[in-house]
Amino acid sequence: MSEPRELPRRIVVAGAGQLGVLAAIALKRAVPPCEVLVVATPPDPAALADSAPTALPFTNRLHDRLGIGEERLVREAGGSHRLVVRYLGWGGAGREGVAAYGATIDARLKTGFARDWGGGARGASTAPPPGSLGEVLAGEARFAPPSGGADSPLVDLDYALRWNVPAYRDLLVGEAQRLGVDYRRGAVGAVRPDGAGGIAALAVEGAGGIEADLFVDCTGPAAMLLSQLPEARREDWRGALPVRGLLYGRPAEPLLNLEDRVTLLPFGWRAELAGRDARHAVMGLRDGTSEAAALAALGAEPGGMLALEQGCAAQAWLGNVVALGDAAAHFEPLGWLNLDLAHRQLALLLELLPGRRVDPRERAEFNRRAALMAGRVRDLLGAHYAAPGAAHFGQLERSAELARTLDQYTRRGRTPFLEEAPLHVQEYSALLDAIGHRAGEGPLGHAADPREGEAAAAAFAARARAALQSTPPYAAWLQRALGG
Amino acid sequence: MPMADPKPIKVVVLGGGTAGWMSAAALQRLLGGLVEVTLVESEDIGIVGVGEATLPHIRGFVERLGIDEAAFMKATHATYKLGIDFRDFGRIGESYIHPFGSFGEEVAGVGFHHYWLDLARQGRAEPLGRYSLAVEAALANRFKPPAEDASLASTYGYAYQFDATLFGPFMRDFGIGIGVERIEGKVIEVRRNPASGDVTALALEGGREIVGDLFVDCSGFRSIMLGQALGEEWEDWSPWLPCDRAAAMPCAHITEEIEPYTRATALAAGWQWRIPLQHRIGNGYVFSSAFISEDEACSALVGNVEGEKLADPRVLRFRAGRRKRSWSHNVIAVGLASGFLEPLESTSIYLTQMAITYLIELFPQDGAIDSRDRDEFNRLVDMEYDRVRDFLILHYHATTRDDSEFWNHVRTMQVPDTLAGKMALWRDTARVEKYGEGLFYDASWIAVYVGQGFLPRKHDPRTALPDPARVQRALDALRQAIGAEVAAMPGHCDFLTARAERLAAAP
Repeated sequence: MSEPRELPRRIVVAGAGQLGVLAAIALKRAVPPCEVLVVATPPDPAALADSAPTALPFTNRLHDRLGIGEERLVREAGGSHRLVVRYLGWGGAGREGVAAYGATIDARLKTGFARDWGGGARGASTAPPPGSLGEVLAGEARFAPPSGGADSPLVDLDYALRWNVPAYRDLLVGEAQRLGVDYRRGAVGAVRPDGAGGIAALAVEGAGGIEADLFVDCTGPAAMLLSQLPEARREDWRGALPVRGLLYGRPAEPLLNLEDRVTLLPFGWRAELAGRDARHAVMGLRDGTSEAAALAALGAEPGGMLALEQGCAAQAWLGNVVALGDAAAHFEPLGWLNLDLAHRQLALLLELLPGRRVDPRERAEFNRRAALMAGRVRDLLGAHYAAPGAAHFGQLERSAELARTLDQYTRRGRTPFLEEAPLHVQEYSALLDAIGHRAGEGPLGHAADPREGEAAAAAFAARARAALQSTPPYAAWLQRALGG
Repeated sequence: MPMADPKPIKVVVLGGGTAGWMSAAALQRLLGGLVEVTLVESEDIGIVGVGEATLPHIRGFVERLGIDEAAFMKATHATYKLGIDFRDFGRIGESYIHPFGSFGEEVAGVGFHHYWLDLARQGRAEPLGRYSLAVEAALANRFKPPAEDASLASTYGYAYQFDATLFGPFMRDFGIGIGVERIEGKVIEVRRNPASGDVTALALEGGREIVGDLFVDCSGFRSIMLGQALGEEWEDWSPWLPCDRAAAMPCAHITEEIEPYTRATALAAGWQWRIPLQHRIGNGYVFSSAFISEDEACSALVGNVEGEKLADPRVLRFRAGRRKRSWSHNVIAVGLASGFLEPLESTSIYLTQMAITYLIELFPQDGAIDSRDRDEFNRLVDMEYDRVRDFLILHYHATTRDDSEFWNHVRTMQVPDTLAGKMALWRDTARVEKYGEGLFYDASWIAVYVGQGFLPRKHDPRTALPDPARVQRALDALRQAIGAEVAAMPGHCDFLTARAERLAAAP
């Protein structure tokens, strides 16, 4: 008869940024009797998952699971909503496109059976979305988070949240304290190996050696724990992604907007994030970009600069050490995937939560799926540099999956399903379209009755009208939500 | 940019069985004016037509073609199917249903089956199937279409059990009705372009020649174009799936009830199917000729069948495996011409439908085949076949049976690495390897692992956290809710009759 494995007694999370604290909350909630200790290493400004003021829709669901209500993020952490991202210049000079989230997720996938057995649009996407409700609402500056009722006109809409990083982290710290997560400040020193490829104890400045069953490395790109293990290997992404540095703008005056923007530049890209208490601009720069050109394109007071060596851990989990965030994958924040990937890998750790002793097969399954997640993020970023407007970046390395996706999409309008991809196939299609890849037309498109297309367009127009009518101006909703 | 109508692509489908007519009808219906579909078949060549049980995916196929479910069910004497009842597989005397559905929901991020394993360890769990609405409804001979929300009543799906010898002809009538051209004739030669190697035409007995741009090989096991003419290599899976014969024999119903599920009973050298249709029951013994003779298998079948025999046993021969590539040159094999996996999980029509779907998604643009589309098709078809293969092998390998040479062989054989890895992960951690494409997800793997008594050694540590009494209450509540749902469902026969009467009354 099957026995439950012994629960871990102590888990150490190294790194006290927004990722490390959330990981600690998640682990403490998963195993309340377990002692969860956060070791606050000095923050690393290069830890992009920790400095990200936004993520993707997946994070909302993770927050829900962890009891961190969206309402609290709005009230206490400057939270605001993003429905779409506008991509400028990626399709060529003067061209732009808009990508929404979850806009056309097949309603049939919502039944319990479809979730467990497949069906609906689980396979490749071959039809362009009839339109995006997110774009319509963002254009009219109307939105309120849907109540979740099946008959809501916003039922298929998904969105991302932005927040104020220090306020969000404070909120998480409060939540961690409430749950009984321990906290110790101090730089991480050498690790004592456990003889099984992992760590027996971790030296922390002023605290001596700290033992634990499981160590979670959220220390940023230095991967202070993982990198000390003899098996640690890094996969270099520099051949696939051209950005070598980031230039941050100083926070500028607030802007309420349901849309964020990413603009292609001759030497990289500029992302502009709206926000209730500040706007943020950041630029990704390729090698050899002149400072003058970069500063001129920033459109904001210059803040910090950061060198970027993109890549990921070949295996994010070694022995009893699991790397999350930049310790697992360090890459340019184009499309704000850094925290999204970190959160999806955290959710994977929760799904495969080990017992006191790590099972090597479970670890291998984690590494298999985590590597797929990271690889598909690299590919999604790579798809940007394959866009028509980005030809000046030259031919970069492409994985077989990326080559296949681009080939199928541009020749046939087909977006193949990818295991562990950061986006649903419909979202993926919408993004490829927004960054200027021209969708080829497949035979189904040729053969389709044009009346079907007209009917879909009419149905969408009706839905859009209903959505606009039932949705307040975003500013008014926000004011009410804040109790104003 | 819509251009002037290009010249339609001439598609020639060879073979008038289930795969042939499904392919021809789907291409004609979904690709409309882009294609001209011709199907070549011969009345002298029988069809295999034993694939009487299906998977829920067939519903999407029928719906997409615009076929009325009721008309289709009437024509094929179809019944509803909620799953498969596997008997004597893990151990003689034990049985379980692999449902078209799931078991209870996860709690606090931990899969239901971990809690079930923990209660089972304490001797306080009912069999896993009692926590599945599909299983309980099946065993109660009740049926109702599932709900389309996220409630308990949405946690199952259904397929059909139908007379496959009538399904082909139904699809033929449908296909001809929408414009597929049918040509009667026997192929005597597959003509190829000597330079490119592509097939150019089929030469028929009597001198007629059918030219085409694209050829769909649905000629069954003979694989006349892909296998014989193009010589596409065969990947043999019989070391893992040694069954290579089936003796089939219909019989009459013996009770008023019609079970909304298929039965698969393990026998000394294979297993026996029992598929209840409206008008009769389909039976068959799938066996390995290395372990039992055809005569012995036939008499075993005759001895086992309960109802009045409606025909003598008919023996079919096959072998497990697939062509290395299902699409080569301008020939796409669909169905048995491409590969074969025994009907243990009713995957035959699914694999046919899957190949048709991918062919349509990757159909040559403007008549020219792009090797990248061909590679993508072959990648997808291989992935589907390989995943089903591993799942089928599991049914044989995860057993304690040692009562015959056949079971000794399959129990002790070395399985593919891909399956060995999945089984080891389950055995050590109670976790199921995750994928989002292909067939059979977590719930199916768990049903078979647990059903065949292949239990893990360890499960999720978090099952130790909640108060056991609360877990017990939650599981009891789920059973009660399932019981109430089942009690409110009509009987399977009543539902079939009521539906037929409603249809008859309709103007």
